[in-house]
Amino acid sequence: MADLRIRPGVHNMSSAEVSAFRDAYSQMMAITDNRSYGFFAGLHGVPGGFCKHSTQSAPAFLFLPWHRAYLYNFELAARDRVSSVTLPWWDWTLRPPRQDGIPKSFADRVVDGNKPNPLFSYRIDLANPPIHQSTRREPGPVDDLPTQAEVEDVLGNADWTDFTLALEGQLHNRVHGWTGGHMGVVAVAAFDPIFWSHHCMVDRLWWMWQVRNGNGNFPTDLLDTVLAPFNMRVRDVLSVNDLGYDYAAAQTVVPI
Amino acid sequence: MGKASRPRRGAKRARPAASGRRTIGAPTRPTTPAKTYTSKPVSVEFAGPSHRFQWADLEILGIDHSEASYEGRVFLNNPKADAKTPRTIDHGYAGSFYIFGHGGCFGDVGHCEVNGHRDAYDFRDSHPLVPTRARVPVTDTLRQLAKTSSEVTITVVPVVTGATELCNTTDVFRFERMRFLTYNP
Repeated sequence: MADLRIRPGVHNMSSAEVSAFRDAYSQMMAITDNRSYGFFAGLHGVPGGFCKHSTQSAPAFLFLPWHRAYLYNFELAARDRVSSVTLPWWDWTLRPPRQDGIPKSFADRVVDGNKPNPLFSYRIDLANPPIHQSTRREPGPVDDLPTQAEVEDVLGNADWTDFTLALEGQLHNRVHGWTGGHMGVVAVAAFDPIFWSHHCMVDRLWWMWQVRNGNGNFPTDLLDTVLAPFNMRVRDVLSVNDLGYDYAAAQTVVPI
Repeated sequence: MGKASRPRRGAKRARPAASGRRTIGAPTRPTTPAKTYTSKPVSVEFAGPSHRFQWADLEILGIDHSEASYEGRVFLNNPKADAKTPRTIDHGYAGSFYIFGHGGCFGDVGHCEVNGHRDAYDFRDSHPLVPTRARVPVTDTLRQLAKTSSEVTITVVPVVTGATELCNTTDVFRFERMRFLTYNP
């Protein structure tokens, strides 16, 4: 069995890992077909409109599965560019001096002297709707980001519905708004390069909840729901290990 | 449901979509305050000293999320609260909810109208703008106020975090109904 790839925290990445990650994004941003950064970003809001967020009906339960499938497909496209890359998660609970809101690797405008940082911004060029601009952020005060205690409160929800609504509403939505700019509205949020690491943190918290609770009372009638436009059903994304990755802080192989 | 609280689906129709539409600008964080909402007084006898409850939530149903993103700050018995009011129990602050808005209608006319006329043979996904809901834990603030008041008002101060030119950034908080829910040990 192939080894699981471990998605790292942004704050724990080595400079070589950050360079490889930037390289993958740069390469995806340099192409325009269905392997490109713009193609994947455009699936979420405009022009694709495939994302699932909370409502009072069933799609509330698809928020986490749909975004897991989304990140999985995006990560594979990034690994097609640079095979060592895995998506890193942005731990919003960290405070200075460990992290000052937006992680430095995403906040720096330029890298390696004067090269534009592909993690800082992406140039959107859409014909319909007509959007031609570079993504930007307007982050709020660092203290308005979720704390570790608030994350633990959300993880403490034993009921699936309570958990997914709290994770989406109290943490996910809040960080989108905190980041501001393009991240601040559904239609264009995925074009901001930090979107993927924000959602990687959300996916990680779901996995941590699953490690504690299993799949809880997840509605079984949704298990065969297709997560369009991906060739995946809900049941296919319930285990991150089945998708080839994990969020464990460390992996130590025991010799046998 | 009062007129002021009625959600307006995809309220602000931008400009006719067609060739020649001008470019839509980047999202911003508006500085002009959005309109606050204050309820009529509601009896909180259910939370009084003679009633035990372990926790209390304020549930808001039918929230429109088609336009701006915002933090909804919930204050009890503080109708003058605004975005600068300290978020402490002393000022009636109970908690916040967070709406991740779609940013207005980027499509053609009718694109953001929620289709409510679907039959048993329509297996398409529900419309993405079906209204959402929020729950705000209000236990501590409600318990404090119920010691001295038999009624409270609920004020929601929307602090807009992201909006495009397609959004109404004044009349931001639109919902269908809200209710207190208390749970016993």
